[in-house]
Order: sequence, then structure tokens, then C-alpha cells
Amino acid sequence: MQEYTRPDTRAIFKNKVKTWFSQPQNIILLLFGIVLTFSTVAPVVAIIKDTFQIHPGTIDQHLTKRTVGYTIVNYIDLFTSKLARENLWNPLLNTVLLSILTCLISILFGGIFAFLVTRTDMKFKKYLSSIFIFPYIMPQWTLAVVWQHMFYSNKVTGTSDGLLASLFGILFPNWWCQGLFPSAMVLGLHYAPFAYILIGGIFKNMDANLEEAATILDTPKTKIMFKVTLPMIKPAILSTILLVFGSAMGSYPVPHYLNFTTLSTKYISMNSKYTGEASILAIIMMLFGVLILGMNQMSLKSRKNYTTVTGKSGQLTKIRIGKAGKYVVAIIFTIITFFTSIWPILLFALETFLPNPGDYSFLYSGNFAYLTTKWWATNENITENGMYGQPGILYNGTIWHAFLGTLMVAVACALIAGTIGTLIGYAVAKKRRNKWANYVNNVAFLPYLMPSIAVGAAFFILFSNEKINLFNTYTLLIIAGVVKYIPFASRSSLNSMLQISGELEEAAIIQNASWIKRMTKIIIPIQKSSIISGYLLPFMTCLRELSLFLLLCTQGFILSTTLDYFDEMGLYAFSSAINLILIVTILVFNTMVNKLTGASLDDGIGGK
Amino acid sequence: MKKKLLATLLTCSLVVTGLTACGGASQDGGAKAPEAQADAPAAAGEEAAADVPEEELEGIDLIIKEAEGMTMEELAKKAIEESNGKTFYGVGNSSRGKSALPTFIEYLQSIDPNYTMEFEWQQPKNNKIFEQLTSDSLKSEGTFAMTLIQDGNQIQSKMVDTGILKTFIPKEWAEANGTSADAFEGFLPLQTLNKVFMYNCTGDAKFTNCWDFVYEGSHPLFMGVDSEIVGKNFLMMLTEDKYAGWLKAAYDKLDAEKKAYFEPTIQSVQADAQDLGLGANGAYALAWIKLWVSSYNEQTDDGPICNTLVDASAKDQSGLLVYSKLRSVEESKSVSVNNIKVAAYEDGYTGIGGYGYCHYLFLTKNSPLPWTACAFIAYMTNTAEGFDAWGKDMGGYSANPTVAKAIEDKYHHSQGGGGEFPAKDDRGYDWWTAEGKGELVLEDPIYCSDVSFTVGSWIDVLDHYTPE
Repeated sequence: MQEYTRPDTRAIFKNKVKTWFSQPQNIILLLFGIVLTFSTVAPVVAIIKDTFQIHPGTIDQHLTKRTVGYTIVNYIDLFTSKLARENLWNPLLNTVLLSILTCLISILFGGIFAFLVTRTDMKFKKYLSSIFIFPYIMPQWTLAVVWQHMFYSNKVTGTSDGLLASLFGILFPNWWCQGLFPSAMVLGLHYAPFAYILIGGIFKNMDANLEEAATILDTPKTKIMFKVTLPMIKPAILSTILLVFGSAMGSYPVPHYLNFTTLSTKYISMNSKYTGEASILAIIMMLFGVLILGMNQMSLKSRKNYTTVTGKSGQLTKIRIGKAGKYVVAIIFTIITFFTSIWPILLFALETFLPNPGDYSFLYSGNFAYLTTKWWATNENITENGMYGQPGILYNGTIWHAFLGTLMVAVACALIAGTIGTLIGYAVAKKRRNKWANYVNNVAFLPYLMPSIAVGAAFFILFSNEKINLFNTYTLLIIAGVVKYIPFASRSSLNSMLQISGELEEAAIIQNASWIKRMTKIIIPIQKSSIISGYLLPFMTCLRELSLFLLLCTQGFILSTTLDYFDEMGLYAFSSAINLILIVTILVFNTMVNKLTGASLDDGIGGK
Repeated sequence: MKKKLLATLLTCSLVVTGLTACGGASQDGGAKAPEAQADAPAAAGEEAAADVPEEELEGIDLIIKEAEGMTMEELAKKAIEESNGKTFYGVGNSSRGKSALPTFIEYLQSIDPNYTMEFEWQQPKNNKIFEQLTSDSLKSEGTFAMTLIQDGNQIQSKMVDTGILKTFIPKEWAEANGTSADAFEGFLPLQTLNKVFMYNCTGDAKFTNCWDFVYEGSHPLFMGVDSEIVGKNFLMMLTEDKYAGWLKAAYDKLDAEKKAYFEPTIQSVQADAQDLGLGANGAYALAWIKLWVSSYNEQTDDGPICNTLVDASAKDQSGLLVYSKLRSVEESKSVSVNNIKVAAYEDGYTGIGGYGYCHYLFLTKNSPLPWTACAFIAYMTNTAEGFDAWGKDMGGYSANPTVAKAIEDKYHHSQGGGGEFPAKDDRGYDWWTAEGKGELVLEDPIYCSDVSFTVGSWIDVLDHYTPE
């Protein structure tokens, strides 16, 4: 009789665990799944709790007649009081309109430009490609300030005359100067580089067979555009919407400067007297983030594949836009990008030499004696002559201290977010059909879709308590920055890792190469460009981030809050100088990275 | 009804999420504590401390009591003992605290040359100072030793009623004001700042009465009641009997045409004035407020307002802004201080000339360096050197008459325009606050706090102006 040996279940389990842990992607997913769940959910919970808490000296105390405890009165008051339209519904409608219009503008502007750069024989592509991303480098509200300087007039906006009104007497209507249109234009221009990079990437790498096949079948060009080309770039358009909608929704400074009431501006203005109700606004903004993520998930499920059944072409051909056309279009875009990218920088530089903020007396009089170097060279604390008690830029300790702080935060955020994001992208690509991997991927991406101002508010509440008080510390800025910017790296890494065949790593495993060796010798070198983008984007975004950090630190702690402080005070020379410092820093870093690694932000698109 | 249903549904779903996530803590400890304290009076902090007999005082209250009986030099010695080699953290609405601290350290070093102290002065954005102080108050020992803070309304309701901030009255300051620490009621002001009506005079517009700023077609530049709460405090203060009386008096001096323009608005708010329990002239205040909110052109800060008004192109524009902004205007082809006039300085002007608000000084309830904070507060309020960081500018008036005189002797703000720019000749606190002269509306924290959700909420629902 044969003896039956019972399997040693403990040994099997132990082996399974051992095998599971021998795969680095499992450990990465487990670790970051837990960490990111906490870092994403905990602030949300904190802010939800805040909506129920009674805050002394605010409306909830007045309505409940209590100074402590919990209540639902904030919800009732926000949704049903006489101020509901003013505090909730109008800002909500404005916010949605702003987000939609911003998406439209950025996709149209960035998409058309991407098409021209990648699919046509337009001239000056390399120059235009580099210059096109400048508005994204600049803090978004600085474009709003430029807008004010250009288009405001005494007759329409009730202020002093802007440049166009002063020099040429041109008066722009108020809808052009303030409100939805300029806010959407400024944000649309700011985020157009997103659309350019994402849509351009697809245009550059798309399979030309489909379009070629349609051409062979004598399909009209417009039909090819709507039936073939646009469906193919649909994922890039959706990605742009995904990125831009949430960002526009959470933008505080642009609508603030251009006099447009959104949920973000309302959050700030309500925060003193209606603290709990302001937190509800933050939650509503967050809900939009979750909604967009859900829509993105649904669109991913319905993605289609196409196969050509006719003859196939071998290479991507560029559309000829005519001998003169390729110059005309290039010149048109050179002019447009001049005004969106170069002109603001020239104005910033000029502003630092004007005697008073926005005082172009030298232009009106032709007298260059009305220019000054006081904003740069004053090395003492004086209050007369427009210095408002500030030393000049070169000697201004606040500015340089903030600059160092910003650099530190940006470098730390880029390194941490870039590394975590790359690892997550790698692990998710390895386990692409695994539910937990999917969850980690989504939970890592969610903070990006949540409006910055709401994320900032949530982190402020989470880390301002009896046990942990991190307000105004670099630690808090780095934590918030990392959580918010991991998606840049994780998405860029995931997309690139999906292109690497598993066989490459398997071959290395057979050769007994360690995981570290596999990563550093095979995976990273192959996808160097995308991975570096995953570090560069957080770095660049962090350098001029305001909405996220606004509530987390004081003025003068980092450059963006310092810049905003000077802008609000009307000290445009200082804020312009900070802008210049930021632009130069980003360009220097971008060039350095480009020289060292060969990668850059518009890598692979800009006419290369 | 639909809205209520929606609110209830949303609330229920969020309650479930919130409470589930909060777990036991919010259901047990979290809920019990509020219930237990629910019946406690709102004003628990300051008043409670004031009621406690002297021998029973402890902690920060005891230190303050002792400090209030000491001279500045005695306090300085205590500070040297306490903070030598340490770091002092202060937080304030004014960045000038940062300039005052080095001179304070020099003063302490004049007593003990070996004394050293590092310092950090923070200036939070917007309203964050209240949240920052609140969260700091949760710790057993706070980070901030003291604060220099504005907005009496929120200070009263969020900081003093809750016991987060503590008032210390320096001995010499009380004496200079003819009072004593025990007799003095209220917060300790470092200075009063004024925001005044100005207008661009390159055109034909004339503003001879405070009602002219709310007359048809006028859109004064103003920071907005939501972006700077002291602006809202100003509007609430107008409803107080004294200032409503000033408005009524100014109204009476208007010509018939203007009276006819304002009359319907005054009549339309009569019932509101009664409902809000205002005095006899309350309707005049409400009417002025209503017209002001529906006409002012909101700007981000007083800096841009000043930049605009002094420009020649801003013909006939007016504004309500910090007076001291004029100090920083540089003359050029299109920009000049002489392009504006300070309304109250003009002959024949009637009515309020602007409003005044204070920068108050407080210790935090868990101050890590209470003696040093007391000494620093005494130094700023009792000496010209301590106040110099603010005193060198026009439009900021020390609450200590001795210091105010010393500052005027040093900087001659009353002749700040040098004969060339009359708008910069600061007429001083006494002139600005006198009836029939500057008629500044002064902030009263207790009044503001009391009407914050009556008059304040009434203001919240008013329609705001949008340029067309």
C-alpha cells in the first residue's frame, strides 16, 4: 500500500511568500500601496473632519452657540443659506467653465502646434519647440499680471492705463480684461505645452499606416483628419484634459488677479469666517478629481485597436504646407510665441528698471533718465523712492533665502517623487493586469487630479495638530510636493516601461544579474529620456508652485510665495526679478540635464 | 427644499466616510470633550484669567502679572536670564518685527555685552496667522513667543475669547497713557494705522463729502472686504452710534440733488437697521455701506491702488488705501504724489476721512520665552528705538504719546511733503481722529466681534460691483 504524504502547507505558504518577495515589483507595490494610501487618504479624511468641526469665531460657532465639538451646520448653511448662490453655486459654475475653456484652449493651441511641428514641413521647428514651453516654465499668474499691464485702461477697468491704452489709445472691453475669458486664456496658454508634449508625442510616434492607407483609398483629407488622425490622438487629448482640468480648477492666483470668482478664490476668501464651509469647497474640488479619474478609467477600458487592410507604407511622411506656407506658418507662430513667451520676459526685465511699478514714463517721453537701477542696486533698507523698505534685489536677503529654500524643496521633491514614480511605473508595468498594481497606479495619480489649493488645505489641516505641527517647514512642503508630483514620474515611467519587452529583463535574470544591475544597466538606460522627464517635470513645477504651497508656509519662505507677496503689494520690480531668476534657473537646469543626458522636456518632439 | 435634501444627503454620506475614517477617536474622546464643554461660555480665556485672584494665578498669567509691575530694565534682565543663546520666534502681520528684533538684542547687549539671541520672524499670508497661532497653541510649549497682529474682530473671537493670546500691559506704557495695567481694558496696541480716502486730481472730479465716494458713477479702488478683514471691520464700525452720527451729519450737508439720490437707499434699509438693532442713524450707515459695496472696484492690495492713483492717466479715480503708501512714490513724467489729493486735507471736506486699525501685541499662552516676549513688547511700546522700524513711516502712530512725540521730533512727518507734496504732510493721530477734522473710523474689537454675524452677514449678501 502506497503511503500518502500530506503536503506541508506551511512550507508551501513559506515558499510562496519567499517567491513573492523575491520579485522586487511586489515589494515596491506593497510598500508604496500602503504609503500612498496613507498620504492620499489621510489629508482627505482630515479635511472631511474639518467640515464637521466647530471653529471658534466663525459661522459654525455663531450658529451652534458652541466653541468646540462637531456639527453638520456648515453643510446646511453652505447649501441652503442666502449666500449659497454667492458662496457655492456661482463659484462652482465659474470653476467648471474655467476648467473646460482652459482645456479647450490648451488642446487647440498645443495640439495644432504639435501637429505642425511633427507632421508638417514647417520651418524653425527647433526654435519654436523650445520657446513654446516657456509659458509653462513661468508662474501662471505672472502672465495674468502681464495681461493686466497690457490691456487694462482707466476708462474700462477703472485703473491706470495699460500699455496699449497709453501708447495707442486702444481700449479693450471688460470681458477681455477681467473674468472668465482672460483667466482661461492665461491658463490655456500656460498649459498648452502639456498638450503639445502629450499630443506631439503621439503624432511623432503614431503608426502612419492608417493615414497612408486612407490616402491610398482616396479618402478626403478632412475625413482622414476626423476619422483617422483625431481618434488616434484621442488618448493624448484625454490625458491633457486629465492633467489640465484639475490644474485649472485648483488654480488660485490667475482668477484672483483677473477678478474671477472660482472655488479656489472663494476658499481663500471664506476661510476666515466660514472655515468649515471653505473646507467643504475643498472637498467638492477633490470630488471633481475623483470623477475625472473615473472617467479616465472608463475611457481606458474602451480604447480601440486599428489594423490596416490595404497596402502599408514604410515611413511617416510629412504633410507639405507649401513653399511659402512653411515659412508663413512658422512666422505666424514665431509672432504668437513672441507674445506668449518672449514678451513677458522682456516686460519682466524692463519692469526692474522702471521708477514706479508699471510707470513707462520713458516710453511716453522718450527720456531714458526715467529708468533706474535702484531696484537692483540699493543696498540699504530705505522707505523713500519706492523701495517700500526693501533692499535692492541683489542685496535682498529675503529673495535669496527664498531662492535657496525653493531650490532645496524642488530638488528634494524631484529626487523623491521622480524615484518613487519611476519605481511605481516599473512595478505597475510588470504587473499590469494585477488589481493591486492598478490600485497603486490610481492612488498615486489621484493627488494630481485634486486641485492644488485643496491638497494644500488638506495637508495644512493634517499636519497642524497637537502632535505634529509642520507648518512653515521644508519637510511639509517636500511631503506635499512629493505626493502631488509622483504622477508626473509614475505616468512617464509607466508609459516608457510598457514599451520595454519583458524578455530583456528575463535574459538578464537568467544571467543572474541582480535587480539593481538590471535597472541601472538595462531598464534605465533604455528609457533614460522618459525617466529624466519624470524628474524634470516635478522640479520645474515645484520651482514655481504657488497654489499647493500657499497655505503651507509664510511669505518669504520660498520664491513663489515671495513673488506672490510682491505682486500683491504691487512691487512688480521685485516680482519680475524673481520671475527672471526662476526662468534662468529652469533654463540652466534644463540645459545641464540636456547636455549631461541628452534628454529635455520637449524631447523627441521638437523637430528632432 | 431640494437644496436641503441635497445638503442632508451629502452630509450623511460624508459623515459616514468621516466618522468611519476617524475611527474610535472621534466617537469616544472626540465627541465627549465637545459635549462636556458645550455649555462653557465662549469667552473663556482672557476674562477667566482676569477674574482669578492674584495669588491663584499660574503659568503665563502669573508671569504677565509680575511683568506688569516691572520696569523695562527689570524685564530686560529677566529676558537676558531666560533667552541668552536661544532662538526667539515671533509672528506678525507686519514684517517690521524683523527689523525691530536686532535693535532689541542690541539693547539687551547694552546691559549684558555677552548676551546673544537668534531670532526668526514670520509673516504669514492672508488670514493664516490665526490658523498658525491656533495650531501652535495646541502644543504644550509653543514655537512663537509673541505676536504682532491686526484685525480686532478675529483677535477677539478666535484668539482672546479662546485664551490663545494673552495681553501684557507694560508699566511705562500704562503710565505714559495715564493708566495702570489693572485699570486698562482692551488689547495693547503698538500703533494705529490709517487708510484714507484719496483721489486723482488730474481731472475735474471733486470729492468734498464722504458721500461723494458712493455717489453715482464713483468706483473707488479698495482692497475688498473679503481679502482684508480690517476693511470689513471698518464697514461694521460705521454702524456704531458715533460713526453713524458722523455719516448722518455729513449727509445733512449734502445739496438737495445728492440727498435726493441717496434718499431711496436710506429708506430701503430702514427696516434692516431696525432688525439689526442699530441706533437712530443706523440706516445712514447701512445705506453708505450698501452703496460702497456695490461701487468699489476691488484690487489685490493697497500697493497697486497707490500705483494706479498717482498715475496721471487715472483721471478722477479715487481710492481708500493705507496713507503711508504715498511715501514710496517716485516722481516721474506720468507719476507724481501731486496727482492725488487726500480728501480730508482739502478745505471744505465733510465727513469721515478714512479708517484706523491697530497692530496689537500679545504673548502666546504657551510662549516658550515669556519674559523675553514681555521685554520685547515693552521695548517696542516704550522706546523710540523700539518703534523706529514703524515710526520712520508716515501714517503709523505709536500708542505711546511719549514715543509718538519722539518719533515726530526725529522724522518730522508733519512736514513730510517738504513744502512740495502737501499730501505727504501727515497731520498726526490727534488730527485724524478728531470730529470735524480727519474723522477716522476707529476699529473696536468688541463691537466688531459682536456684530460680526449680524451686520457682518448683512454685508456678505450685498451685491458687489463688477466693471462693465
